[in-house]
Amino acid sequence: MADSAGPGQPADEPSRGEAEPATAALAPAPARRSFLRGLAGGVAGGVIAGGAGGAAAGYAYRGSRPAPVAVTEAADLVTGRLPAVPFHGRYQSGILPDPQQQTALAAFRVTADSRAELASLLRTVTERARFLAAGGLPSPTGIGGPPTDSGVLGPGVVPDGLTVTAAVGSTLFDDRYGLASQRPAHLTPMRAFPNDDLDPAQVGGDLLLQFSAGHTDTVLHALRDVARHTRGGMQAVWRIHGFASPARPAGTVPRNLMGFMDGISNPPVASRKQMDSLVWIRPGAAGEPAWTAGGSYLVVRLIRMFVEFWDRVSINEQEKMFGRRRDTGFPLDSTSIHATPNFANDAAGDVIPLSAHIRLANPRTPQTAGSRILRRGYNYDRGIDEVGDLDMGLIFTCFQQDIKRQFEAVQTRLIDEPLVDYISPFGGGYFLALPGVTGPADYYGRALLA
Amino acid sequence: MRALRLPVIAAIAATALAACGGGAAPGVIPVSTASCGGDWHLGGPGWHTFQVRNDSTGGAEIDLINPASNAVYAEIANFGPGTTAPMRLNVGSGAYAFRCLFDDQDPMTGRTVTVPGHAKGTPAIEPVTYNQLTPLAIRYQAYTAAGLDTLAAQTATLAAKVAHGHLAAAKQAWLTAHLTYERLGAAYDAFGDFDGKINGPADNGDLTSPDWTGFYRLEYGLWHGQPARELTPVAATLTKDVLALRKAWPGMQVAQLDVGLRTHEILENALQFQLTGHDDYGSGTTLATTEANITGTRELLSLLHPLLVPRYPALPETQRWLDRFAALLEKEHRPDGSWVAVGSLPAAAREQINAACSQALQLLAPIADITEPRNI
Repeated sequence: MADSAGPGQPADEPSRGEAEPATAALAPAPARRSFLRGLAGGVAGGVIAGGAGGAAAGYAYRGSRPAPVAVTEAADLVTGRLPAVPFHGRYQSGILPDPQQQTALAAFRVTADSRAELASLLRTVTERARFLAAGGLPSPTGIGGPPTDSGVLGPGVVPDGLTVTAAVGSTLFDDRYGLASQRPAHLTPMRAFPNDDLDPAQVGGDLLLQFSAGHTDTVLHALRDVARHTRGGMQAVWRIHGFASPARPAGTVPRNLMGFMDGISNPPVASRKQMDSLVWIRPGAAGEPAWTAGGSYLVVRLIRMFVEFWDRVSINEQEKMFGRRRDTGFPLDSTSIHATPNFANDAAGDVIPLSAHIRLANPRTPQTAGSRILRRGYNYDRGIDEVGDLDMGLIFTCFQQDIKRQFEAVQTRLIDEPLVDYISPFGGGYFLALPGVTGPADYYGRALLA
Repeated sequence: MRALRLPVIAAIAATALAACGGGAAPGVIPVSTASCGGDWHLGGPGWHTFQVRNDSTGGAEIDLINPASNAVYAEIANFGPGTTAPMRLNVGSGAYAFRCLFDDQDPMTGRTVTVPGHAKGTPAIEPVTYNQLTPLAIRYQAYTAAGLDTLAAQTATLAAKVAHGHLAAAKQAWLTAHLTYERLGAAYDAFGDFDGKINGPADNGDLTSPDWTGFYRLEYGLWHGQPARELTPVAATLTKDVLALRKAWPGMQVAQLDVGLRTHEILENALQFQLTGHDDYGSGTTLATTEANITGTRELLSLLHPLLVPRYPALPETQRWLDRFAALLEKEHRPDGSWVAVGSLPAAAREQINAACSQALQLLAPIADITEPRNI
């Protein structure tokens, strides 16, 4: 990248096994360009023609370089794995779907030393994400270098439902890359709320990448792949691994590590109208630079749960704090999980206390409807603390159109809720999930850098 | 997925390897001491996976080469008898032949298969031979010998300053001598046990062990207020060990393999032990050590330069990243000659340094493979 070719310049391909397909190609090979230009790409080859249940049949997912081995080994390679999720689109593919079983979030400081290098970095991240999402076979290096792929997923890269969500933080819009005038209207450093205990080492970042897939190996493989192609362009500053529990009992909603179901009353992602009014930044929105259209603000809060303390609290206290039954997820005034609690009928909070989490977070009034957020929480688990208690908790993430109107309004209502004694937010950040990558020539942040 | 598979299969039909080797399974290429690949042929350019089977009774190395230049497209090393191994590559226009190296036999080259046209494929890389590397290893040996002469004088100066109780001057002398040693990075393995004596870290962090000797032990003492009388024997032992190494050095050999291998290993060590601060025993000079390691790396690259230019297109980029890395370190070198300790760096500066080091390493890594000595 030190030879910082201008944006849009195709890779100085080959020399390392990256030649154009010479066979009956299924789709034209996009010009691939690596941040590390000398090692352009690193993986090529045909798609793994597998996947569960034919779910991918409707997608035009296919590698540009079909390889015989893909067919003979495909069945083994994809056993138990999920099919590819389409990478290209107006919006990033990892935002609306329910949480996948495994996720990795990594925040990076961009170390590129010019705007051209930043563009090169974002192109490389895009190329890797596009390839990893589709799957394929790593290109061999012969005697020309170590293997281009870590091999963690076996001889072929299986998609396993991988989604990559790329988001930028407010610090990217400082004076380094001349982007100050392009700063999104609502992108600021993360606000510290009362009761937060933020560790600066685990807050913020110029760039946030979230990898979600069906298995841990898939997300870690993706993280390693992107990192090896971007060593000079960015440095990881914090990361965390999360998982979504299966819904127990089946048909309910996954639980957090306090034993309560989390994310029951999300706005419906199938409602385009609600997504347009709550999640996506609208083209021409007041104060928003045009490039943000199709993006969404992403708030990440890393929240430790003091589970030992929590487990010493009576069930009545626990349920009053949340406002739901632990076993069933029902609101305390209702007999079904998705029932709307009737706060108007319980104005004094005799059934669901006025300080209950669900009551403060979503009062269910017309005035607060616009503050709803699309929550995408994951559990985390990572060792022990100084007194031998388990370090586990919640990776709270949510998407929204306007952080102040939505997340901050909700979080302000939650200040000093009874639950704060059992949790401690220690990290995270405010980000803007970039508009989707619309096609083979597009890349993350193209409109921002145009 | 059925809809997707059909075109894949169709594509394979167009590119499939047609192997005809006396009744061998389709796609399998047999190699033996009697026949290197048999009567195989290619349907055309494109991605192929050759299933190569070692029908001999011993180990082998199989290369797919351009017979005109001996350049290697792909290889199977440590190929056990009776086993089958895949060899995958993108076949372009050009000439292809298998070359078989069996234990205790002259290399054998099989029939040449030519793919016409102008299709681009996996490029072949000309192997580097022992004969090409030997003079480089000898030159490296001489470079190290000169460095050891310098080092011997510098450690003698250091020991004298410690013995006279001039501990401030001893700190200066320590840094000078230690950086001289660190510039010789490539020779670590070749130094054998001497390296542990001269530059070993505290064993399991035990800072009190009487067995701990060398630069780091002395650093720890000098920067933790230990008195001259305690450090005098430490400095004397260091001097003695350096002299012993200098004396032994002409009889020790730099392996041909090491010349290329060390081009990334030196800085792997720097990333792991210096940029983390792990090997900082008080002087806060691990950035200086890292810079010395870059110098050692550049010495190797300079020796290998003629071999790398035709084989490694990313060499100029590698050198640019080393320059960028060194410039970032030099920013932390104060005008009075002292260095910023890695732990005192502002986060952004440290991230820049780590990124540059990691990028340089990523680019240096292929050199070990490219310059691994091969028999042809």
